[in-house]
Parts: sequence; structure tokens; C-alpha cells
Amino acid sequence: MFVEDPSGDAPDNKIIHQILKSRMKKLFTLTFMVLAMTLIYATSIYAQRTISGIVTDDSGEGLIGANVLEKGTTNGTITDLDGSYSLTVADGATLVFSFTGYTNQEIAVGNSDVVNIQLDAGELLDEVVVIGYGTQSEKEITSSVVKIENKDFNQGPISDPSQLLQGKVAGLQVYNRGGDPNGSSVIRLRGISTVGANAQPLVVVDGIIGASLDNVDPNDIENINVLKDGSAAAIYGSRGSSGVIIVTTKSGANKDGRVQLNYSGQIASGTPVNGIKVMTAPEFVAAGGTDLGSATDWIDEVTRTSLTNNHSISASGGSGVTSYRVSANIRNVEGILLNSGFNQFNTRINFSTRALNDKLRINFNSSFTNKDQELGFQEALRYAVIYNPTAPIFGDASPYPFNSEQFGGYFETLGLFDSFNPVSLIKQNSNRGNRKEFNYTANLNYSITDNFSANFRIAQQNNKFDNKKYYATTSLFRGGATSPIRKGQAELYNGNSSFDLYELYGTYTDSYGSTDLTLTGGYSYQQENFDDQFFSIGDFPNNDLDFLNAIENAQDLLNAGLIGANSNASPDSKIIAFFGRANVTINNGLFVNASVRYEGSSKLGEGNKWGIFPAFGIGADLTRYLNLDNVDQLKVRLGYGVTGALPAQNGLSQEGRALVYDGANGGASTTLTRAANPDLRWEQKRETNFGIEFAQDRFSATLDLYNRDIQDFILLRTVDIAEFGVDKRVENAGSLNTKGYEVALNYDVLNTDKVRYNTGLVFSGYSTTLNEYVIDAEMRANLGSPGQNATSMIRIKEGDEIGVIWGPVFNGVLEDGSPDLADVNGDGQLVVGQDKALDENVDFARLGSGIPDIELGWSNQISIGDWSINAFFRGAFGHSLINTFRAFYEPQLSTQSSYNYMNTALREEGLTTARFSSLYVEKADFIKLDNFTIGRSFDLKNSNSFESLQLSITAQNPFVITNYTGTDPEPSLVDGRDVLSPGIDRRTNYFATRSFTLGVNLKF
Amino acid sequence: MNTIVKFIIIASLLSLQFSCTDLEENLRGEITNDISIEGISTGGSGGSADALSGAFSQLRSTGSAGHFGYYSVQELPSDEMVIGAKGGDWYDGGVLVEMHKHTYTPTNGIIGSAWNGTYAAINTCNELLAGDLDINQKAQTRALRAYFYWRLMDSYGNVKIITEPGSDAPQVSRAEVFAFVESELLEALGIPAVSADMDLTESPLGQDNNPYRINRYGAMGILAKVYLNAEVYTGVAAYDKAALAASFIIDSGVYTLCGDGCKVPNLGKRPSVDSDPDELEGYAAVFAPNNEGNPEHIFVIEYDEVSAGGMFFAMMSLHYSSQFTWNFDSQPWNGYATLEEFYNSYEDGDKRKKANFIVGPQLDFGGSAVLDYASDDGDPVLNYTPFINELEPNSLREAGARPGKFSYKQFGRANMDNDYPIVRLGDVYLIRAEAMARMTGDWSQALPDVNIIRARAGVSAYSSITPEEFLAERGREMFQESSRRTDLIRFDKYNDPWWEKPASDPHVNIFPIPFDQLQASNGTLTQNPGY
Repeated sequence: MFVEDPSGDAPDNKIIHQILKSRMKKLFTLTFMVLAMTLIYATSIYAQRTISGIVTDDSGEGLIGANVLEKGTTNGTITDLDGSYSLTVADGATLVFSFTGYTNQEIAVGNSDVVNIQLDAGELLDEVVVIGYGTQSEKEITSSVVKIENKDFNQGPISDPSQLLQGKVAGLQVYNRGGDPNGSSVIRLRGISTVGANAQPLVVVDGIIGASLDNVDPNDIENINVLKDGSAAAIYGSRGSSGVIIVTTKSGANKDGRVQLNYSGQIASGTPVNGIKVMTAPEFVAAGGTDLGSATDWIDEVTRTSLTNNHSISASGGSGVTSYRVSANIRNVEGILLNSGFNQFNTRINFSTRALNDKLRINFNSSFTNKDQELGFQEALRYAVIYNPTAPIFGDASPYPFNSEQFGGYFETLGLFDSFNPVSLIKQNSNRGNRKEFNYTANLNYSITDNFSANFRIAQQNNKFDNKKYYATTSLFRGGATSPIRKGQAELYNGNSSFDLYELYGTYTDSYGSTDLTLTGGYSYQQENFDDQFFSIGDFPNNDLDFLNAIENAQDLLNAGLIGANSNASPDSKIIAFFGRANVTINNGLFVNASVRYEGSSKLGEGNKWGIFPAFGIGADLTRYLNLDNVDQLKVRLGYGVTGALPAQNGLSQEGRALVYDGANGGASTTLTRAANPDLRWEQKRETNFGIEFAQDRFSATLDLYNRDIQDFILLRTVDIAEFGVDKRVENAGSLNTKGYEVALNYDVLNTDKVRYNTGLVFSGYSTTLNEYVIDAEMRANLGSPGQNATSMIRIKEGDEIGVIWGPVFNGVLEDGSPDLADVNGDGQLVVGQDKALDENVDFARLGSGIPDIELGWSNQISIGDWSINAFFRGAFGHSLINTFRAFYEPQLSTQSSYNYMNTALREEGLTTARFSSLYVEKADFIKLDNFTIGRSFDLKNSNSFESLQLSITAQNPFVITNYTGTDPEPSLVDGRDVLSPGIDRRTNYFATRSFTLGVNLKF
Repeated sequence: MNTIVKFIIIASLLSLQFSCTDLEENLRGEITNDISIEGISTGGSGGSADALSGAFSQLRSTGSAGHFGYYSVQELPSDEMVIGAKGGDWYDGGVLVEMHKHTYTPTNGIIGSAWNGTYAAINTCNELLAGDLDINQKAQTRALRAYFYWRLMDSYGNVKIITEPGSDAPQVSRAEVFAFVESELLEALGIPAVSADMDLTESPLGQDNNPYRINRYGAMGILAKVYLNAEVYTGVAAYDKAALAASFIIDSGVYTLCGDGCKVPNLGKRPSVDSDPDELEGYAAVFAPNNEGNPEHIFVIEYDEVSAGGMFFAMMSLHYSSQFTWNFDSQPWNGYATLEEFYNSYEDGDKRKKANFIVGPQLDFGGSAVLDYASDDGDPVLNYTPFINELEPNSLREAGARPGKFSYKQFGRANMDNDYPIVRLGDVYLIRAEAMARMTGDWSQALPDVNIIRARAGVSAYSSITPEEFLAERGREMFQESSRRTDLIRFDKYNDPWWEKPASDPHVNIFPIPFDQLQASNGTLTQNPGY
């Protein structure tokens, strides 16, 4: 349910809102006072004692990370590396011990202060899962939540933690096309969750909502929980609308003063996997290309074998009620493109203690990251593909009289559009960046009674980033080497972003007979700020100085109008919410969860700022009600949730203007650049999820089916310029429906003392339909220059699925070298003009879909004694990619004989006109061995200084099976920022990398 | 206990430090209301700062001298300008070929862009008129808005007349838009009608000679253009009024044709190329980079490489390597060229031929040949030929005489300096000549004014003239001034076949209403007939 005034009657709505607002305020104050008073009252009453002990498995080994919970409360801890724990509980308490794959045990605390326990490998999986503002036991979950432990993560040199999850969670798409070390992955849960808002899932790191994964060292991660459906994510409100990824970092373990040290290191070597086949110099000359007398493999000249190394060290320990973990990570990553990569230093501290008779739990987490980036120029890869292979690298080998000095000694083919010597480009210019990120969160949790705890959290994230580019005076590429008047350009960019979070919530748990109840309620305040500055200046005397640091030498200072400057600051972008949730467990077999969130945003129009977003879920453990022999688990669950989504931009409900100067007349006034939309309201996602979890003997399976409606999606759309003064405005523009399924299967093939083999398969598929749109149909995604502007390749249409590639069908080559396009509708008339794309009689066809039908991940874990083998395959099927490299550069254009031509298996002999058609739309089905690791562990308990050693060798991306002729067959889910235009492989992508890694893990 | 109190105090203070339900959005980095700044000195010729800057700057942002806006929709469907598809280059989904062949459809992006630009300009005028203006400023803004509506009506025929910002109005017929444009201009001029005895002494429009603003001669010049085409727009001729309006300007004596002795330094001269003149004189001076203050300028669009950008003719027209002839700071795009037949309509002695076109082998700043390494004929020397082999798919890179009337200066930037005329005296002479001829049905009535123009061009006087000869003369004079499409329609020649263009149906004489605007209008716009 979404509360708003259907008549759009703003004043009434406003009054209601004000009443609500003041009530909320009162309610909030009241809650807080009650809370505070109870707090004062509660502390002195209850007698307390500290219980400690060791939790072991059936072989007597300590279990690390087992959960120990005081029954009926939220009071709990987890075991450390030895399996030991310490917990302060009330007299007469019962302790609940749980661990993945083991049967839960409950022990009433008697007189002893020591409770040691051995857990049996259980049939029933029961595990604590992190959900918003609390945890739940896995069986109580009524929505689609997947937990991935660090042992299941992808191995190898992973610098972006999202790649740990690639292929591991059904329905979670993680694609970093090409694998630029400085690029970040596109992450999607269940495909398109929104059109105009942020489609990346919300990341929560140790309670910090909206944290960045960039500054988390994969080695520091304990586990990751993925909340997939709307009912699970609803408690996070609009920011959880695209799903939630909850990352928990490793916490300290109390070792009674002893410090546990851990080192892990990796050295990796990467090589480009060149999927782009171009002509060699002799082939090019034979094909009629302009011969410049040399032979250069340009791709080889701008790429390298990269070397990456990565060292992490952590220390954890503690004594009494205090524990800590500190870690540091140094990461030196080289990209396969020359001058690309980064150097990163990252530290993290997790500290926890107790005070006030152990009633107050204090957690403090903080991390700092410094990342020096060598961003290089990806354009070098593009120009390496199309640069004349007979051109020399250096000017002294030019067949024409050539002034090498002007270009820093390099050769350039003058007189061409969009053609630059890639070696000169990458070597003469510099593109560096730096990011500094500092985060902290302080969490205070006070157990007011055994049943009631209050939680207060402050978190802040601060980011500073800059980018400095210098284009040399001798660089043709943006340096103006041929300009007699203005050579060289320096560009300086810096920005800051910050995020503040204040949250206060209470949790109440109780039991009534066989019914357990947990209530959660609270308030959340989130504020984002952003500002940036850009400055560019050029015209330098020569390349002698580092002009990024000596911009005062720019001749632009003498020459009007050539200095570029820009700055922006965001408004205080706020989200304020009140939320509540009830979790009810009946007979330990029927589970009901319900939540509601009342949320407001500063981005929306006055009167439309607030929305109510409810969620509801029910689940049943059927093994308790049905007589199912041999079945260990059979759970069904159904969830429904509504979440809101917000546009990324600020100021949409207000008018925007730009100052225009009027030449020599010396006046300036403003013109409209953005029409206000005060009616802008919440985009809403309503999602229903049905799931079945089944386990029998060595086999387990999970099936999820979902239906997702996105209503009032927010999009920049064309409006009547006569009325609005501008032709585009951000509006609530239509609705989408997605239906999908997700399956996860797991089987213990072998499980003997010596040999274990476990295999798991996850696969999923979905399809998204455009149900309503402000106009009937639209072409999107322009192919681009040279010559293929006004060439849109993606059609969206009411009633149609999203991702349709729409264009003419290639039939062969005509005598004049132009493509023979098919008369698709057979009416005897060939209608193939781009501007007729939406006409009834157009001879266009659906050339493919950018969205895969099925995506799968197949993991295999084998252990033989001390050896382990891990093979992970990943694939996607049914999607197509538009190979834009081929679309521009494979036809043999007589007018452009000084560029190289693509030379794939799909090349059409004699085609001399570049025009978009089905010829460039390729099926991109693939299956790849994503990750292959062999490891060996050594028990060093007998040594004086070490506990254990693990060695591993990992191959990433060792092979791919695909017919796609481009660099990377992975789906392209988004074109720039346009989620409605999937399936385009642009010319700006990085080349895919294959790497081999040697890893060491040493415990002291 | 003490600690608990502290905890509560701290927690309360922390929650008070932010206001708990305030969602006001303060856009601190953006301008959200209309402001104007007067008296900023940006150099140049001076002139007076006023509140009209935003409105007049819209003349530039509508693409009057750029690619993909008003200039493109006026020039490309005419017989004076073409962009050949060079392999894949400049094919652009076929929109340019369509413009040439008159097969444009409602989704053609250039036609959409010109529509959007013009309505954005009208909106700026409407906002200005909704504020406080003095009587002169109000009259100028209304005249400017009428000029934009004339562009819309001339191009698209049936459009909405919006006079208040943020409001909607029904689409009306071309004749109704004509009537609106006429009455607005007349009201701005302060007269009930154009007549032989009209009295402008009370006109709110002034007589001061600032060609970047509209004085009474500028408004009268726009009106003359509108009347000259009245028969096309409404079926009712108004040649008498066109002639009277033109005579009013000519007879005032305020403006003079730029002929012999009217000259400026040649900013495009290469020191080592002797054939480059030191000065540009006469016709060439009217359009030169330093043409500000030319005595022929009545109402012009100011362009300046720093403070008034938007003229990109060098980039749009010249070959990539021509960068080295003029030492441009950017590489040109190799697009717009002239049809061979149009180029050949100039006789060799015509001064306008040299001024308007760039042909032949090209030399760089130092006098050496300019090279093109990808040359089609194997000879790397860049040589512009008037001959163009084909429109598509493989138009040669060097083919086509390139427009150079708005001449290029050494060390120029992508943004050029040349002021662009909307009303200039040479045009006004030809309007009067044609109006007199059509009004009387006797084309010899055109001769006096036509021969004034021919004399300035250095060609012999006509003793008699046919409508076809008149159209050709007007074409030679008005090349590159966005006039040719309207002229061809008025002479009923727009639908004739010419090079790489078959005969076209008369419905193409007005452009289609852009498809996305038609969609966005929720049925308040109806498509023009034939599309």
C-alpha cells in the first residue's frame, strides 16, 4: 500500500502530512523518553554471570564462528578461532548454540561457569542470517536470502569484492566487462529493478547503509548475505529497492591476551585475452589498405603481461569483555593496458567491548583506504584495433616527409578523423587519480531488560577523490600537437562526498507458549552530500615540466575563453524514515514477518515527499506438519513487499537555469534548462516471491519464483517543448513487470574421511516487459561517429520485453559494396531508413535480446586429504551483443583505407559500406572456466612460530567457449547509464584478462 | 548511573543535531530563478548592456550557424548545400541523405532539433515578457519572438502559438500564425499597417544603429521577408507591402551597401602565400571574421569565439587537413559542401565566387601542400573539386567546393567570430526587386535593384531578366544565409529534380511535426499532411 492523495490535491495532502509529521515527532520523543527511563531503571535489577567455554565439532576440533545466543534475547556472541566463547547472561538463562550444517543445541546454564559443547553435524541447517536491523535464524526467514561464507568466495586476485559473488547467487548478476582494474562491476539483482533510479543493490557493510565495496579488503570479509526480494529489503526502504548485499567483516576474537596473526599474500600475472581479430600488415595491404611501409602489431604495443601483488596481515585478540581485530592490506595491481592499475593501502579496525555490567555492548568499526590510480587511457585499446598496421610507431620511419619533433618523435597519420597513434597516446599523456575513503561506525546496544534492547548507531563515510590528466604538447590526442597556438592541456578534477547516518531502534523479544515474538521499531536519518570542482587549462611551452604542478605556465592565462572551470555542490539529500517490524514464530514451524516503513525524501515534489512501504511474509516448515520420511527439510515461503525508489539527480522538482552571456553587449541573463516537476512522486516496486527449500540426505535445493511490478518509474522523457520551454523532463513515466525464477542445487557427491566432493549449480532467468509507457514506442541507444549517428539500435515498446535489438536484416553484399538488406515483410518495398524504425511497414526485425535467458554458475569443491581443488564454471545463454567494433571497422571502406579493418570469421568480403544491420548482432552465449584453484594446506602445529600454512595456485579465466568475436561475451546490462538499452558492446571496453595467481596464507 | 545519564544526554544531543523530519531541498549549486546581470564587460565592440541578453542569445542556440539545427534544415534540402556520405562517415542513419532527397520523415533528428531550439527561444522571450520591461525592450522582445514564430511557421506551417511561459495553446493553421507574426511586428513598430504614408515617429522601436538588437529597420526587414512569402503562407499576396517595407529601409539612408572601399584586414591571410589579399573588400567584407559594424548590417546575430559561440562553419565544412591552412585549434569534420551546379552558376568574374567558395589544391600556413594520407585518388595533396562523384555511399573525401563566405581566420577556434546577418541591405534590395516585379507582373521592374547588387559583385548589368535568372541571382547573393529553401518554394522550384534528387511531392514544402513532440503532446498536435 502506498499512501498518497489520488486526487493530487496538494494542500490536503500537506495538512495530513503535517499532522503525521508532528505525531511522528511526538511518538519519537515519547519512545525515546520511555526507552531512557527503562534504561535507568533496568540496570540495577538483574543478576548476571559470565559463561565461557569451547564449541567443538564431532571430531573435537574447535568451531570458528559458531553462534552462541541467550535464549529469548538478542544477547549473543560468536566463537573465536579456537571455538571458545564468553558471554554474560542472566541467572537461569538457556544458551542456544548453532553453526552451519550442525544441529542446534540448547543448554540451560546450571551452576557451572563453563559450558563446553560438541555440536553434531546436523540434518537441519539452521544458521543466523543478517537482515535489516537485526538477525534471524535461517529457518525463520520468509523471503529470498542467500548467505555466502568466505570459504565459498571466488579466489585469485580480486580487487572488487562484488566479484567474490560472481556466479554464486542465483539471480545476482555481476559483470565487469573486460576487467579494467579501475572499473567497477555492474551489479544487478533480478535484472532491472528501476529505470531512473539507482539500479545497483544497496551495500551494507557492518551496518553502514550505502557503503562502498571499494574499500573493503576481500580478506576482511566474514560473510555476505544477499537479500533478494522486496519483502526482505523493504525494511531498508528506497535504498534497498534494488536488493541488499550485507557484508559482515571479521570481528576480533578474545584469546585471553594472546594475539592471533594471519598473513596472506598473492602474486598474479595477467595477459590480455585478445578477442579482437584485426588484419596484419600484409593482409591489410592485400585488402587494398594504404601502405605506410612498416608492420606494427598495435595491440601488442599497448598491452603487457601484468604483475599484481597483494599482501594482507591481520591481528586479532582481546581479553575480558573486549576484543579487537586490526588488518592492513597492500595491493599493487597492474592492468594489461600500459599505464593502468593502482596501488592501494587499506586498514580496518573492529573493536568491541561491554560496559555497565555488560548490559551495554559497544562496537566500533573503522576503515581507511588510500588508492593511487593509474587510469591510463582505454582509448589506446580502441585505436590499437583500428590503427593502420603498416604505420610505423616513430616518425623517423614515415614514408612521407614528417616532422617527428612536433609529435614527440612519434608517427601520426594526418588528415584522418578519429585516428591516433595508440603508443604515443598512452606513453606521452598521463591520467592519474586518487581516492581516499574514511568510514566509521559506532554502535551502542543496551539491554534494558532481557527482552528489550535499544540500539543507537552513528556512521559516517567520507570520500575524497581527484583526477589529474595531462595531455602533452606533442600529443595529437587532445594535446593539440598540430595546433600552432595551443598545445598541451592540464585537467584537474576533485570531489568530496559524504554520507551521514543516525539510527535509533529498539528490539523486543518474548515468548508466549509456543509462540516467539520479536518486535523492532526505530528511526533512521540519512544525509548525502556531494561537491566537485573541475578546472582545465592548456597551451604550455613544451613538455619540460610536470604541468599539472605548474599550471601557472599555461599561455591560456593570456588568452580569453580557453580556461575551463566547473563546480557543483549537491543539496543536503536526505532520507528520513520511521520503521517497525514484527517477527512471529509459532510452534517453531510457522513463521510470519511483517514490516512497515514510513519514508520521506528531499528529492521529491512538495506534498509527494512521504510514502508508506509495507512488507509481509509467511513461511512454514512442512516437515513439522507432514509425515515425510527421509526428508530433512521442506520449507515453503511467500513474501510480498513494496519499496520506493528515487532518482539519482537532485533538484528535479525545481526549475533549473543557466546563465547565458550575450557577447559584446555585456549582459547576461538566464534561460531555462530544467522544467520543474513538483508532481514527481515515489517510484514503487511491488514484489511477490514464492520459495521452496528442500533437503534430503546429501542433496539440497532452493527454488524461488518472483513477480515484480515497477510502477511510476522515473525517467527523463520528452515533453511538449511549446508548453514546458524545454523538451525533456524527469517524470513518472510508466510501469515494468519482471517475472523470474532462481534455482540453487547442491549435492555431496562423495563424503568419505579422505575424499570429499561437493558440487553446486545455480541458475536463473527472467524477462522484463514494458507494461506502460508515456508513448507507444521509442528507439534508443545511438551507434555513434563516424557516420552512424542517428542510428538507434534498441527498441522499447509498450507490451514488449526489454532488450530488443531492432534493425535491418543483412542478406549479402550488393555489387556496389553496400549491404543487401532483406525485405522482411515481403511487401516488395525496402523500407530500411533509420527514421522509419517505428513505422508499420519498416523492414526491420528483432535481431536479438541483450538480456540472457539463463545465467548459471557451477561450482565444484574437491578435497583429498590436505589437497583441495576448486573449479568454478560460469555461463550465460540466449543474449546477443552488438559488436560495435565490427559495425564501424570491418567493412572495407574505400574512403578510410588508412584505418585497419577487423578481420573476424564473420567478415563479409567486398562490403565497403558501414551500416548497422543484423550482421553486427552476434549471439554471445558462453561458458567459461572462471576460476580454477589447487590448494594444499600444511599443519604446522609442531613448529614454534607457525600454526598453519596454505598454498594455492589459481587460474582466472583460463578458457571461454563462445562464438562471440568481440573481446568479452559477458552480457552488457547497461549502456552508459541507460538500463533500457542492454546488449551493446561499445568501443570503449577494456580487454579481457587471463591471470595466474600464487597464493600463500600463513597463521602465526 | 552517572554513565547512563551521560549516555542518554549524548544520545539526545546527537539526535537533536539534525532536524528530524525536515526535507527541504536547497539547491546551493544551481540557479533556480531568473536573474539578469547587466554591464559585464566581455570586450568587443561595446554596445549597451540590457535585460534582453538571454532572449537574443537564443538566436545562437537555435543552430543558426551550426550543425543539426535551423541552419541545417534550411540549407541541406536546398540545391546549394549537401553532405555526401563518405563510406560510413556522415551517413548518420541516412538523415542527411533524406534531407537532400526530400524524403525526410517525422523522426528526422535535425527537423526535431530545429523545432526544439525555436520553441526554447520562444519560451525565453515569453519569460522575459512576463517580467518588467520598458516599452522599447518589450517591443524588441515581441519582434524577436515574432521572428522565431516566422521561422516555425515557414518551416512547419501549423504550430502552437504560446505567449505565456508554462501554458499550452491549440495548434493553429499556418495562416493564423502568419496573422500573429504580422500583427506582433506591426505592434512592435507602432503602426496599424505598412503603407506608403505610415508614420513611425511614435514607434517604440528606436533608430539607433546596434545591429545585435532590433530597431525599426530590423523589424521592418523581417516584415518585408514575411510579406514577400505571404502568398505561399496564406494564398493571399502582399508584395506591395513587402516593397513598401523594403523601400522604407533603403530610403532611410541609414544603411549603405558595402562596396568598393568598404574593407577590413584579411585575418585569414597566410604570410607566405602571396595570393592571399591583405584586405577583404566589398561583398567579402560583409561576412568576414571582423565584420562587426559593417554598414550593410541591419539586424545580425553576434558571434564571438569567446563570449558568443555557436558558429561552426569551419568545422562543419572543411576537410580534416584544412586545419593546417588556417592553423585551427581543432580538426574540422569534412561535411558541408556545395552542389557542382550551384557552384557553376557563378561566372568567373563574379567576386562572390571567390568569396563564397574554397576550391583547388590547398596550401598550409607555410605555403606547402596540405596532405591527406587517406586520399581516395592516391595523391596525398588535398584538392577540393567542385565535382562530387555521388551522394552516397562513397562520396569522395575531397569532393565538393567548400563554403567559405563566412571566411576563416588564422589561428581560429571551432567557434568563429563572424556576425551572421538576419536582415542586411543587400537582401533588402533583392526583396524590393522581386516584390516590385511580382506586384506589377513585370520582371523588368526588378532590374534597378538587381543591377545594384550585380555591380557590387563586379558583373555586368542585366538589361532584361526572367524569374529564373532572378532566382539564380538571389541564390548567388544569399548563399549560406538560410534563405534558399524558402526562395525555391516561393519560385515553385523546390519540388524540381536536381543532382541526386528526384522530383518531390509538394507536401515536403513544410516539414513534418517532429515525431517525439507529436507523441509528447498527448494529441494536441496533429501531423502535417502527407507524413
